[in-house]
Order: sequence, then C-alpha cells, then structure tokens
Amino acid sequence: MSTQVHANLTEEQVREISDRLGEPEWLLETRLDALSALDDLPFPDVIHTPGRKWTDLADLDFESFVDPLTAAEEKDLVAPETEGVEVLPFAEAVDEHEALLKEYFGSVVDPETNYLTALSTALFSTGTVVYVPRGVTAEDVKIRTTMNSRSLFNYTLIVTEESSSVTILERQDSGEEAVEGDRYYSGLVEVVAGENAYVQYGSLQDLSEETYNYQLKRGTTDTYGTVNVVDCNIGSRLTKTSVEVALDGDASETKIVGAFFGHEDQHFDVDARVWHNAEHTTADLVTRGVVDDRARSVYEGVQHVGRDAWDTNSYQRENTLMLSDESEADASPKLIINNHDTEASHAATVGQVDAEDLFYMTSRGVHERLAKNMLVEGFFVPVLEEIAVDELREDVQSRIRDRLRARTK
Amino acid sequence: MSSEQDHLKETDTEARFEFKKEQRAAFKSEKGLTEETIRVISEDKDEPEWMLERRLRALRQFHEMPMPTDWPGQPDLSEVDVDEIVPYIRPDIETRGGAESWEDLPEEIKDTFDKLGIPEAEKNALSGVGAQYESEIVYQNMQEQWQEKGVVFMDMDRAVREHPEIVEEYFMTKCVPPSDNKFAALHGAVWSGGSFVYVPEGVTVEMPIQAYFRMNSEGMGQFEHTLIIAEENSEVHYIEGCSAPKYSAFNLHSGGVEVFVKEGAHVQYSTVQNWSKNTYNLNTKRAIVEKDGTMEWVSGSMGSKATMLYPCSILKGPGATDNHITIAFAGKGQNIDTGAKVYHNAPDTKSTIESKSISKDGGRTNYRGLVHIADGATNSSTSVECDALMFDNESTSDTMPYMEIEESKVDVAHEATVGKIGDEDVFYLQSRGLDDDDAKQMIVAGFIEPITEELPIEYAVELNRLIELEMEGSLG
Repeated sequence: MSTQVHANLTEEQVREISDRLGEPEWLLETRLDALSALDDLPFPDVIHTPGRKWTDLADLDFESFVDPLTAAEEKDLVAPETEGVEVLPFAEAVDEHEALLKEYFGSVVDPETNYLTALSTALFSTGTVVYVPRGVTAEDVKIRTTMNSRSLFNYTLIVTEESSSVTILERQDSGEEAVEGDRYYSGLVEVVAGENAYVQYGSLQDLSEETYNYQLKRGTTDTYGTVNVVDCNIGSRLTKTSVEVALDGDASETKIVGAFFGHEDQHFDVDARVWHNAEHTTADLVTRGVVDDRARSVYEGVQHVGRDAWDTNSYQRENTLMLSDESEADASPKLIINNHDTEASHAATVGQVDAEDLFYMTSRGVHERLAKNMLVEGFFVPVLEEIAVDELREDVQSRIRDRLRARTK
Repeated sequence: MSSEQDHLKETDTEARFEFKKEQRAAFKSEKGLTEETIRVISEDKDEPEWMLERRLRALRQFHEMPMPTDWPGQPDLSEVDVDEIVPYIRPDIETRGGAESWEDLPEEIKDTFDKLGIPEAEKNALSGVGAQYESEIVYQNMQEQWQEKGVVFMDMDRAVREHPEIVEEYFMTKCVPPSDNKFAALHGAVWSGGSFVYVPEGVTVEMPIQAYFRMNSEGMGQFEHTLIIAEENSEVHYIEGCSAPKYSAFNLHSGGVEVFVKEGAHVQYSTVQNWSKNTYNLNTKRAIVEKDGTMEWVSGSMGSKATMLYPCSILKGPGATDNHITIAFAGKGQNIDTGAKVYHNAPDTKSTIESKSISKDGGRTNYRGLVHIADGATNSSTSVECDALMFDNESTSDTMPYMEIEESKVDVAHEATVGKIGDEDVFYLQSRGLDDDDAKQMIVAGFIEPITEELPIEYAVELNRLIELEMEGSLG
C-alpha cells in the first residue's frame, strides 16, 4: 500500500512545493524526512475488536486521489485589527516569521506520528499561521478553506503568548467546480497555548461527500492555559479526525466538544484524547452525534491521567442517536488512570429518538416527522451550548436543519 | 474392593508413571508442544479417538495463531514462552503434583489458609495437597439427591468416557472453539480435568454445585475444562470455589468454561479466584443463551501476576438475559485485565454489567468490555457500570469499554468512575473511633457489597477475608 503511494510521490514534487512557498532549507529537510519516513509508518490507530475493524483506513487507495502538484483552493482569512496579532498565509509567514515557525512547526504534532501526518507534512501546500502576542486579545479570527482540487493538504499553526486570548473559527468546504472521483483532504492543526493563555478553536468540516478527510488537531498548554476545541463534522465520505490536548502546564484546562451528523454512506471516526500531564488539570469532553441511513460512526475518547497529575478532574460524555436501522455506531470511551488523586468519569449512550417524547409531541398535534426533527435538533443542544462562537453555533445548527429537512423518510 | 484390585490399581498407576518418565526423556530434545505429547495425554486418559483428533486439531491451531500482543494496555505476556510449555506439560509428579504434605507448601499459601480460618482437612483439599486424583471435590451427600433427578456432575475426564455422546456434541464445538484465541487452542490441546454438569429439562438444582480446582494428579490442572449444560427450564448455580492458589514454578493457567443455557433455563456461574502471584491466568469462559434463558456471571479475581479474562455471553434467543458482576483486586506487581463480553444476537435481549475494581501498591486493574448489538436485535438493552477505587499513586486503573451497535432500536449505556478512597469517608469513620486500616477496610467492604451479596455466605466471607488480607499487605 504505502509503496504504491510512494511510487506516485517523488522528492522532486516535494521540492517543487517547498520552492513555490519559498521555504528555507530546514523546512524542506523536514518535508523530505517525512517523505522518506512514509514507508515505515503505520496508518493512524483504528480500533479492532473480534470480527470488526472499526475504520478501515488501509483500504483507502491513496494513489488514485493524491495529486500533490495540482492543489487548488480559495482561502479566506479574516483577522482582527488588533495590534501585533498576525494571521498569515503560510508562505507569507515563512518569509516574515521564520524564527517562530522554526520553533513551533512540528512541535505539537510530530510529522512522523503516522503515515498520514507524514504525508501531510511532505505535501502540504497551503496553511495559516496565527500568532497572538503577550496580553493581547484577538477575537473572531476566521479561516475558510474551499477545496477545488482532488487533494489538498492544509496546515494551521496557532501560537499564543502569555496571558493572550484568541478565538478562531476554521472551516473546510468544497468549491462548486466538479472534480471527478474520490478526493482527499488532510489538515493538521497545532495549537500552542502559553502561560495563562486562552485558545478557543472551532472547526466546521463540510466537505463534499466524495472526499476522504483526515484531520489531527493537537494542542499543548502551559500553566493556567486553556485550549478549547470544537470539532463539527457534517461533510465528507469518510472522516478520521482526532482532537488531542496535552495538559502540560499545572492548572491548565481543556474542553473538547464534538458534533457530527452522518447520513447516506458517510463514515465518521471521531477521537477525543486528553493527557493530564500536570497537577490540578481539568478536562471535559462532550460529543454528540447522529447517524442516519447507512451512516456509521466510531467514537474513541481517551482520558489519560499521568503519574504526576495530582488533583485531576476529568469528565467525558458521548451520546449517539441512531435514526435508521441500517446505521451503525461504535463507541469506546477509555479511562487510563495512573494517579489516585483523581476524579474521573466517563459515560456513553447509544439509542434512538425517545418513543415517549415522540408520542408526547405527536399527541400535542405536532406532525411526526417534524416532531422527530425537533427532537434531533434538541439532542444537539447540550453540545451547541458549549460553542462560544455564535457564528459557528449558528452554522452548525443550520447544517443540522438542512440535513434533517433533506431526510427522505 | 479386594486387595488384589487395589494392588492392580496401584500397579497400573505405577506403570503409567514409569511410562511417562520414559516419554519425557524422549521429548526433551524437542521444544514446543508436539503431537506426540498430545497423544500421550490422550492415551493416559484412555480417550476415544474423536477427542484425540480434537486435541490435535487444536494443537495445529495453537501453532498457527499469534500471541495476543496488540491490545492497548494489555498485561505483558513476554514471559509466557510458549516453547517452554513442553517441559511443564510432562508432569513431574514428585514436585508438581504438588507438595506431598501441608508442611511443604509455601508460606504464603499456608498463611492465607490459616488466616481464612479454614479447617485442616479442607486446607489440604484446597491447596491440592493429598492423594486424591480428582480435580475437584464433590460434596458426596449432595450428589445422591442430584442423581435421582438425573443431574450429572462429575470430573470432565470421566465424562468423556461415560457421556461421550453429550461431550462429543458440546465440547469445544459451539461455544468455545479452539480457534477462538491462542490460549483457547492451547487449552483444547492439553486440557485436563474440570467439571461436567448436566441438568435435565425442568430440573431445579436447589443447592449450588461446587467445585474446588487444584492441580490434579496429572499436574495439568491449569488447563481444566468446565462444561455446563442446562436443558430447557432447568436451573443451576455452579460455583468454582476459591480456586486453589497455585504454587509451582509452572505459571500458566488456561482454563476453559462452556455454558449452554437452553430455552427458559437459568444458570449462575460464580467464582472467586485467588491464584499465586506468579500465575498467568488466561482463560476463556463463554455461555450461549437460548430463548428466555438467563446467564449470570459472578466473579472475583484476586491473585495472579496477570489475568486476562472476559467472561462472555452470546444472547442467541429472543428474551435472553445476561448479568455480569465482577470484582478485581490488584496488589503489588499484579495486572488484572478483566471485563465482560456480551453479544446481543436476538431481539428483546438484555444485559447488565457491574464491574468493580480495586488497585493498591502499584497494582493495575483494567476493565475491558465488549458489548455488541447485532443488526436485528431490536429492543435490546444493555447497561454497563464500572467503578474503580485506587489506594495510592503507584497504582493504575483503566476502563476500556467497546460498544458496537448495529441496531437502532436499542438502549445502550455505559458509565464509569474512578476515584481514590474518600478522605472524608475515612475521616468520618476515624472520628467514630476506627483506625485508618479498619476504616479503609470498611469502605472497601461497602464498595464490593454488590458482589458479595450474590455469593453464598461462605464465599462472601472468604472474599471479604481475602481482600482484608490483601489490604493488610500481609501476603507480600
């Protein structure tokens, strides 16, 4: 498998991408290292249980849709006009802030984490760098990526200095132009939260349903730092997405919120992972998803409490709603606890729309289909409430409504 | 029995031992489990051809299968060297059939039994001391009344000879095939001893059927097989009592349990296991539950260096029910990886899993569970609850449930909590005059009460005592 891809990817291609972005030598080297590591790297972990491979990534035929040199996109960057805040396209950031990139590029997500991260590092052609200096508040940073090619590799780096604050909304969708066959989108996001910094990062993935989507969003916190991530998945044919936060600073916090709505034959593999590596850290993981038609969801949530993570609070909730008989939902919320001074819990449920609720509403004269739609919308409320950015919340809500309205039965 | 018969019996036994010793010499050059070994075991047991065939097939599967090494956070099995199994398979009767007398037992074991307050005779039986060659002790007075009802309860080896038609049909064919996992295959090849329980249609066995496992005369008691068949509308409670702590150098226990719960039948399988701290306890236990049948697993896993055990129910018929209640205790150097598996393969099936674990002094517990709801298993419901208690910061506690849901008309819930022993609770009890240890013991006793409630009083007492001993740390 990997050798096939490799045959289609050459050092020349990588050099050309790097050259177009005007990259320094060290970055080219990083890309080339990632390229040569491909042969030895595994695909991202997927869960296997007896007789069942929860997500089959190895069956993806990358060769047929990875086309590194014809990447096309439209990027829409909105930056607040706050002194010192930088929101730059990657190529520009390479020119203007090389030191910053050199320090942080690959520092949160090791390019050689797995086959797909290495592929991304070798081939990414577009990206955004967000930098918020000490004590500055930057609101409403927006990054919108519209994919117009068969494959697109996107990279986002967010660096916040001490006591700064930033709210970022990143969206991925597909352009109007028709592209034949399968497509591939890959996105890596690195978030560095400085001491007492606050990062709220929201993502809405609404790619075309021929697109295979891989994303890894990973954050690290300094003392008193906060990294909150909202990860919403609506589009794509298959999504493997991981939101991971390492609570590396004492008294740091994270909240990972997830929402997905799968229909037709979509497959969503959604992971939320947190590592409590320091004292007095708090994590709260909330995910709600709906599967309809033949859609399939996979959820893995990991709360890892390290040996030195004294006084930890860690909570996780995951609920999946199944709207059809053909849909499937797999879930595995995991607790890994190495320090006893911990308060940790997780809970997961899978079920259908509550029959009593439905009966109640229809008995009040609400048409059954409308009642069901209302209940599904209501199901997402606890997750929507966690989204601090109005625009993201409204967008997610309207996408959910669109999808419910499009239901055929 | 005439003295001549006695003599013959002894002679026969003697001859067989001699024979084995010769064979052992022949094996020495070969590492790994060989076909020849299996043939000798089977011949020793005077088994029919079909059983030998099954053993040999299992052996082939064992050789073909990989070690389970890719489970996240699983116990380290690198010490379990499959190639080294052979020297142990051939029993060295003198040292392995165990200690000849109570005095020869390791201190740790003696200490446990003393502290449990078990009478001398019982101690000998429990610890495997003595000359009895059965792999379990049957309470004889009970047996007669069972026999009148047609209930069969005997040594598994004997069942192969005396009830071949039943055993041939059920033994490792439908429930736990050797192909299930590497250790099930190993078990299928080298199994020996265990219990056979057959309850005819409509019969209720009022008293729990009890078996104590210990090493049997063949020295292969680590591979005992339990086969329970409960015919329609029957009811039985089987207790694998305080499995004798193992004390030999051989440190692999790989048992197999197969339970058939027919339509409307009710089976409870309870066990309190306390293996020695050098034992790898790698078991396969599974029940097939037909329409409206109920299977209950109650287990306490104490002892062992590493345990990998996930009792499984396959809810095959509509309305079938499963209840799991498990408790695991891991102390110093122990890794208890246990949980439950339930396959909902029919409509209106229900399962509940209640799992408790305690880890202390660097021990590691893991709840690893799988709930699978198949397409078409409408109106099925499952609820899983796991609670972990941690005593100190050297210990580890993991919870890894897996839920696979292919059916929408279901109700699935999983919940888990982890916490330390409450400082406030301890303080409260101390303020009432209890010392620190007693206070903690009392909290633990309360924590495990759901398990002890399900056990007959003597086992509940024993479980409590065992946990107290572990908490005192007096067993090292």
